[in-house]
Amino acid sequence: MSTEAPEDAIVLDETIHQSTRLRIMTMLVSVPQSDRLAYGFIQQTLGLTGGNLTTHLRRLEQAGYLALTKEFVDARPRTWVQATPEGRRAFAGYLANLQRALNWQPAG
Amino acid sequence: MERTGDETRLSPEEGWRTIQATMEEARSSMYVAGTATILLLWGHIISLGYLAEYALDTALADFRDDNAWVSAPLWIALVVAGMAGSAIIGSRAGRTRAAGDAMRSAGIRMFLFWLSVALAAFLVPAAAGMWNPDEDPVNVARVAIGIVALGHVLFGIMYRLLIAAVGVGIAAAFYIPSYVAGDAALAVSAAATLLVVAAAYAWIRKSGVL
Repeated sequence: MSTEAPEDAIVLDETIHQSTRLRIMTMLVSVPQSDRLAYGFIQQTLGLTGGNLTTHLRRLEQAGYLALTKEFVDARPRTWVQATPEGRRAFAGYLANLQRALNWQPAG
Repeated sequence: MERTGDETRLSPEEGWRTIQATMEEARSSMYVAGTATILLLWGHIISLGYLAEYALDTALADFRDDNAWVSAPLWIALVVAGMAGSAIIGSRAGRTRAAGDAMRSAGIRMFLFWLSVALAAFLVPAAAGMWNPDEDPVNVARVAIGIVALGHVLFGIMYRLLIAAVGVGIAAAFYIPSYVAGDAALAVSAAATLLVVAAAYAWIRKSGVL
């Protein structure tokens, strides 16, 4: 079990390590890389308001972790959300650091 | 560590729990795509079957006497129509939630689960030798409805408890009248089944539970 000081070695990605954004990224990376999730599906599953979801999606999009696309499905406009390869790598790194943080014990 | 006002502080343990809970919620949300409408469809199909059986027992009793086998094709036709309708509704609902392999896989799994339940409702009575002209059709229905209700309860335990409650409601809507309502039992069951699924549909729409 590691005894190193977490602030020296374990840095959790602040863009991901926030309740709503962590849930969004978890949804996006839990499907295959080519899959996209509908904006409404994410909103309903996470129980978020449209404004709240949009705010967090923008933050993740600005970080390059997800891509938003708009298209018509059954003649209705729909916004799709997809994790980018960079977002998947960042999430994998976040998970690795989270695991280390969970295993960390103070020295002595 | 930079924090903005809208952010919720998470400990590593909370982060881990959040990931697990979200993965489970996302997966089950895919499995229940279109469930509200599908429940409503099956409520109508089961009620239609009960009403048809009621008609065969009363107004069409002579026809049943001459064609004792009529219940089997009646229910097979209803269930095939229900499965086709459910597949279409589920597929359309799935397309509005996600695009790609995960949703397709969830849809296929759900179709196979409910196909298994429907087949069991036919095959278990058949294996017990109940599909014969001498058997009272109500006994076949008692077994079949029990299997359908069990399917709902198992599905509900895995994904949404409301579906389990619907299973119990469907069973109650059939069994209670069959023991207490005499000759009108199937007509009462038809109305009670519609009430159960309509209440579930309204609850789902209001609460957004699915």
